[in-house]
Parts: sequence; structure tokens; C-alpha cells
Amino acid sequence: MALLDVRKLTKSYGETQALSDVSFQISKGEFVSVIGPSGSGKTTLIRCVNRLIEPSAGEIVFDGKEMTALRGPELRRERARIGMIFQHYNLVYRLTVIENVLHGRLGYKGAIKGVFSMYDEQEKRHALEILELLGLGELVYRRCDMLSGGQKQRVGIARALVQNPRIILCDEPISSLDPSSARIIMDYLLKIRTEMGITMVVNLHQIDVARKYSSRILGFNKGTLVFDGPSDQLSQQKIYEIYGAEAGELIND
Amino acid sequence: MSTVDYNRWTGKIAIRRLTTSQAWLYSVLVVLSSATVYGFLVLDTKGVGLIDAATRTIEYFGLMFGSPRGVPSHFGVFNDSTAALFLASFNLVLQTLSLAFLSTLLGGVIALVLGLFGAKNLTGPRTSNAIKGLMALIRAVPTVLWVLIFAIGAGLGAVAAVIGMSFHTIGYLLKAYSESFEEIDEGVIEALRASGASWLHIVSQAVLPSSITQILSWTFLRFEINFAVAVAMGAAAGAGGIGYNMFISAGYFFDIREIGFITYQILVIAILLEVVATRLKKRYRLAS
Repeated sequence: MALLDVRKLTKSYGETQALSDVSFQISKGEFVSVIGPSGSGKTTLIRCVNRLIEPSAGEIVFDGKEMTALRGPELRRERARIGMIFQHYNLVYRLTVIENVLHGRLGYKGAIKGVFSMYDEQEKRHALEILELLGLGELVYRRCDMLSGGQKQRVGIARALVQNPRIILCDEPISSLDPSSARIIMDYLLKIRTEMGITMVVNLHQIDVARKYSSRILGFNKGTLVFDGPSDQLSQQKIYEIYGAEAGELIND
Repeated sequence: MSTVDYNRWTGKIAIRRLTTSQAWLYSVLVVLSSATVYGFLVLDTKGVGLIDAATRTIEYFGLMFGSPRGVPSHFGVFNDSTAALFLASFNLVLQTLSLAFLSTLLGGVIALVLGLFGAKNLTGPRTSNAIKGLMALIRAVPTVLWVLIFAIGAGLGAVAAVIGMSFHTIGYLLKAYSESFEEIDEGVIEALRASGASWLHIVSQAVLPSSITQILSWTFLRFEINFAVAVAMGAAAGAGGIGYNMFISAGYFFDIREIGFITYQILVIAILLEVVATRLKKRYRLAS
């Protein structure tokens, strides 16, 4: 059974259709890249999965649960099983690295324990292990505004991992990074996929990166899914279809 | 060929034309300034000449700030010890500071809780607008009026003063707090929502840590304002403290030198508070 089953997903903002009639399935352990020009619906798509954006129509079945029907605590519980990584890291910069990482546990916490940062020893140990794994062992008590872009993004990854997620959604994780930091981040994402078996859905602007790292690519244009296949089948012709003819020169290099 | 009619420009040539609003503005100004001049002309000076009045004013100011002196018995001190006098008057300054502290604390706590609901990014625009509108109404009424309104129930005195000052403080701080909350990066809130955090978690783990320094400096700024108001309330609402003694010196004993003595004490505290507030404001670059 598919881990994520999206059926006829539609999202419209008044007249404009951000997503129209999108259907696809993602199995456990896949590394899927989502590509397309700005405004093609990539961001809307992954935010519909954890309901940060309410879909207008269609179904999203995650791990056997219909996401669109969930409310309140039930929705929180399912969101806790879905990690998310952002382009701008979205950390609380006044707090330390470990405090930010432990925010990933809030989805499993009651009101009092969450408000007063009462985390179990086991949770804290888990967070430290993940930080060591991501090479941040020396920076545990550093305030997040003191970190470099690549380090901030690794804290973001750690926050997602501490959730014990079944899937991680990445919204342009390397768009704000320099090439070498971007490479490190993509390598970590791949490592998480292969070593921990966590499914990855990554929005990307860089086609070469998508080709190199992912097993499968979804291509969007104006809210419609125009390509869905293994990354080696993404032909030049298909790239034209996704990005439009005028983008041809940009992507030939 | 068209002919040009130069005859349109007759008489004295103006280089400006008044718009309607300018015309109104100038006529209002003219009316007000003539009323002011007329007021001075018919002022009842009780036969005191201008020069006489001016010299006496300067003389009194000189007395007030040149040779300030407190009368011990006015402060409840019945010996000649200067230390006892200063201690007693400082005790009154402390009372005024306490009035300011208490109303800032009460107002601040309530404003913090309500401010969360007043921030657009933490509730909806509807709740936020309702709360902010109500608070604008509270702010529009001066603190003194709130104190007098609450004096109906509590009687003139410290209780009415504290309630009234807290009330206006809520209106002021809620605006400052909720605007600080609204400045928070929307992405942080989104990130915590995405991981399944509840509203309370987001407020306590992201919103408050991100805005705590702004909250502290706004609160201190309001404390400074409340001190000045508390001095006035001592006189106007009989709330006690140094303001009440100043009122008695001025209106009952007519002791100009004692007013100077008290003014200097208030000035020292006000300058200290101002310095701290300015430093805080600079450090966190608050918009006023």
C-alpha cells in the first residue's frame, strides 16, 4: 500500500487554480523531487499534505489516514508523524540548538509539558544523537542566530528527525544556501532516506540536483502534474513542457 | 493664426492662488490670533504691572529652584535632623513609585494575555480588530479620567488611582505587545504548526521567546510614564505619595521653596528612569 496517496487534489484561490486535479502515489522509502517554475503549485502541494493549507477538493491519504477529514488533536497527532524542512529554516533564533530541535517533540506533548519544556531524558538523548549524526555535536548550546546557513538547515533537519517521522517534506531546502552547503544538505537528506528509510518529498528549483539525488521526479506546470516518472526518464522535451519554452536557455547548461 | 487676448490680465498681478482649504486655514488662523490678542488686552491683572509681575515671577522661580528647602513637619518629622527629613520624603517618593509599579504590573499581565488574542497572526483578523478597537477606545480616554471614573466605585484614593492607571496601561501595552507578536517571522509559527504543536505550545515556545526583550522594554517605558502619572494622581486623586505632598505645599502652605525641594526629588527619579528607558529603546530599536 502506498504511504502517501493523493487523489484528485485541487486548490483554488478565488479564480486562480494553484492545483488542479492532481493524483499520484508515493511508496515507503522513495526519494521524490517536485520540480516546476515559481507559482506552479509545488509549495501548495506539500503544504496540503500536512494541511498547513486547506485543499479545496480531493483526498490525501497518508499511512491509511484520510488527512482532509482530521480535526484538532487528531490532526496534531498525524502532523507529528510528518517532518517538514523549510527554505528559510524557520528556527526560533533566540533559543539554543537543542531547544529548537526539541520543538519537534511538541506534537507528542500535552499542554503543560510542552509549555514548560518538560522533555523526557529519552527524548533529549535522541535529540543529542541526531545532532551528533548531523555533525552539530559541538553546537548543542549555541544560540541559533550564531549559526551559518548550512548549520541552521541542519538544525531544521534535526528538528524534523526528532519527530520520528514516516515522511519528510522539504520546501526548497537548499535555495538559500551556497553550493557547498547545499551539497552537504542534499547528501544528508539522501543519507536519511537510505539509512533510516524515511520517505522524502523535496521541492527543488535545480533540475540537475533533482536528477542526481531522487529516484523519481514530479513535474508541475500551472498547477497540473505534467511529468511523473523515474528521474532518468526526464527528457529535454519534458523539461520544456514543465518550464515552458522560454526557460530553455536557462537549463541547457 | 490665433490671436492672444492679453487683456485678461488686468489689475495687480497675483503669483499665487489660494485653494479652498488654504483659505479656510488662513481665516481660522486670523480669527484665533485676533482672539488671543483681544484676550491679553482685556486680561484682569488685578492692578499688577507687567514689569512688577515679571520680576516677581523670576524671583519666585529663583527661590523655588535656587534655595529649595523642606519643612520637616510637613513630612511628619518633628526634629531638625536633615537625614530624617530626606528619609521621610524619600519614603513618599517610594510610595509614588509603588503606585506606578503596581499599575504597570497589573496592566502588563492583563495586556500580555489579551495581547496574544490581539495579534493577527495568533488569532484571526476579526478577534484582533475587535480587541484592538476596544483598546484604542480605552487609550483615547486620558488616565486621569479613568481614575476619576473608578473613583465613583472605589472612592478617591490609591485604589482608584491604581485601577484607573492599570486600565490605561492595558490599552497602551496591549497595542505594543500585539504589534511585537505580529512582527514575528510567520515561518516559525508555521514550522511548529507543521510538527503538530498546539497554540499554547507555539505561544510559549516561539512567540514569547522571540519577543521577550521587546516586551520588557515596552513595559519599562510604560513604567516611566506611570511614574509621572502617579505624581499627578497623588494630587488629583488623593492617591498619596510625593504628589500629594506637593499639592499640599502649593495649595495649603504656599511654600515655594518646598515645591522646589520636591520637584528636585521627582526630577532625579524621572531622569534615572528616562536614561534606562532610552538605553533599552536604543538597544532593541523600538518604534515609538
